[in-house]
Amino acid sequence: MASQVSVFVENKPGRISHIARVLGNNNINIRAITISDRGEYGLINVLTNDPEKAYAVLSNEGFSVSRKYVIGVVMKDRPGALADIAEYLNESDINVSNAYGFILQEGDRAVLILEVENFDRAEQVIRKGGFHTLTKEELHNL
Amino acid sequence: MENMYWDREIETIQREQLRALQLELLNRSLLRAAESDFYKGRIPKSIKNLEALQEIEFTTKNDLRNSFPRGMLAVPLDNIVRLHSSSGTTGRATVIYHTRDDIDNWTEIVARSMYMTGVRKNDVFQNMMGYGLFTGGLGFHYGAERLGALTIPASSGNSKRQIRLMKDFHTTVLHITPSYALHLYTLFIEEGIDPKKDLDLGIAFLGAEPHSEETRVRIEDLYGINAFNSYGLSEMNGPGVAFECQYKKGMHVWEDSYIFEVIDPATGAPVEDGEAGEIVFTTLKREGMPIIRYKTGDVACVLPAPCPCGRTHRRISRIKGRTDDMLIIKGVNLYPMQIEKVLMDIPEVGNNYLIEVDSVDYLDTINVKVEVRPHIFHGEIGELEALKSRIVGDLKNEILISPKVTLVEPNSLPKSEGKAVRVIDNRKGENI
Repeated sequence: MASQVSVFVENKPGRISHIARVLGNNNINIRAITISDRGEYGLINVLTNDPEKAYAVLSNEGFSVSRKYVIGVVMKDRPGALADIAEYLNESDINVSNAYGFILQEGDRAVLILEVENFDRAEQVIRKGGFHTLTKEELHNL
Repeated sequence: MENMYWDREIETIQREQLRALQLELLNRSLLRAAESDFYKGRIPKSIKNLEALQEIEFTTKNDLRNSFPRGMLAVPLDNIVRLHSSSGTTGRATVIYHTRDDIDNWTEIVARSMYMTGVRKNDVFQNMMGYGLFTGGLGFHYGAERLGALTIPASSGNSKRQIRLMKDFHTTVLHITPSYALHLYTLFIEEGIDPKKDLDLGIAFLGAEPHSEETRVRIEDLYGINAFNSYGLSEMNGPGVAFECQYKKGMHVWEDSYIFEVIDPATGAPVEDGEAGEIVFTTLKREGMPIIRYKTGDVACVLPAPCPCGRTHRRISRIKGRTDDMLIIKGVNLYPMQIEKVLMDIPEVGNNYLIEVDSVDYLDTINVKVEVRPHIFHGEIGELEALKSRIVGDLKNEILISPKVTLVEPNSLPKSEGKAVRVIDNRKGENI
């Protein structure tokens, strides 16, 4: 299972750089980063090659951090690939609370990261639909 | 020449006669007070001279709280026609009871006070203070009616309507908080109205918030009016306890209704005239709930020289501060304890907060900062939003003002070890 860390931050300059520097100094590689903004504060979600270590070093630094399981769906990097998955999720009645994607280095595949409400059921359903979901190890070796 | 006194006889009474009157009224007050559960056995039923008052124990805000709801009631509830109560929902409320005569006496000194500043029956008085449990609205309302002025019970808020009322009915006298007067001026400018030229205002009563001489002068300049300072507290009825005359050099305390002392809050001993101390009041006329030697927490000094207006009732200075940590926000009195109690009841917050009071555009704001520590953070925005609105709602219930709540990062507020600073008041000077 893949996981990301969510960091609570006030909306003020220097928060992203602070987090990125802490991760960098600890040799943690960032795969993707998103921000949920609520005006005066927000969450910075970071997907890294080592979520446990990311959680530990950011907590040590004094941040309020939370670990969250996410589903990483591997898909072809071609038009309509995301639509296929999204339609399937919709038909399977899986509600997505947050989603973001990135392209893999090799060039012809992409990863869609999903935050969902009922994680266990969602992952089962997605696998049953013939989609490949990233394991912790795969995330580490990306 | 027109009579400058509402009640010449009492306003210019010789000091000696006044003292004799005070002793007589005080003994009636003591006798009545001794009927209440709180004062029974705690005070003598009469004393021989005014100096002997100093041997009686003080009454404090805590005494009022502890005797809630009827411990200080001195007459059967049947004889009570009105009460005013503080708002507390956490069991820290206080209540003051008034008989019909109490309301009548209160109304009389408010009318006297307003007349003293030049209000007459041909005036149009717009009362911009909240009506309700707060004494500022109703106290002035009945005083103005007794005086005979056309009274507009506008109550607080709704600035555009306030401005329209002033124009439609040619308001000549306002009762307003100083911060609101300054704020309202910016709206006048936006609406293209020059209060000096386009309105008929002549007098403003600035109340419910201590303010500086500079603020008064500023309001007078902006509006082209005479602004008068006044002092009152609900424990002593409300407005009308002390009021400025046309000379605006200190406020005359109506000593036929109250005995006041200025004491050193630490020792309880009287201070010299001209020296700052805590003001202590004894009601002389109240029947429903007499209060003996009430420690107000307000700091001021006596201005000893006689006033050129001819009134013999002594004057006090502006209120210079508080002996405790009471805050006055938008004219509402509140204690940090009230806020703390609410926050402590929200487990996610505990003692992990800071209260910031500011003045934005002349309006007071209160901002409660709460640290999002790891144990309350589960990575969900929705959860944080819910916590935020819960804090706002609970606080509004308690203090009747909507605070702003800001969620901040861990360790960004002062540490709670030792004596942490929980309140930061950034309103410069205006409180003193």
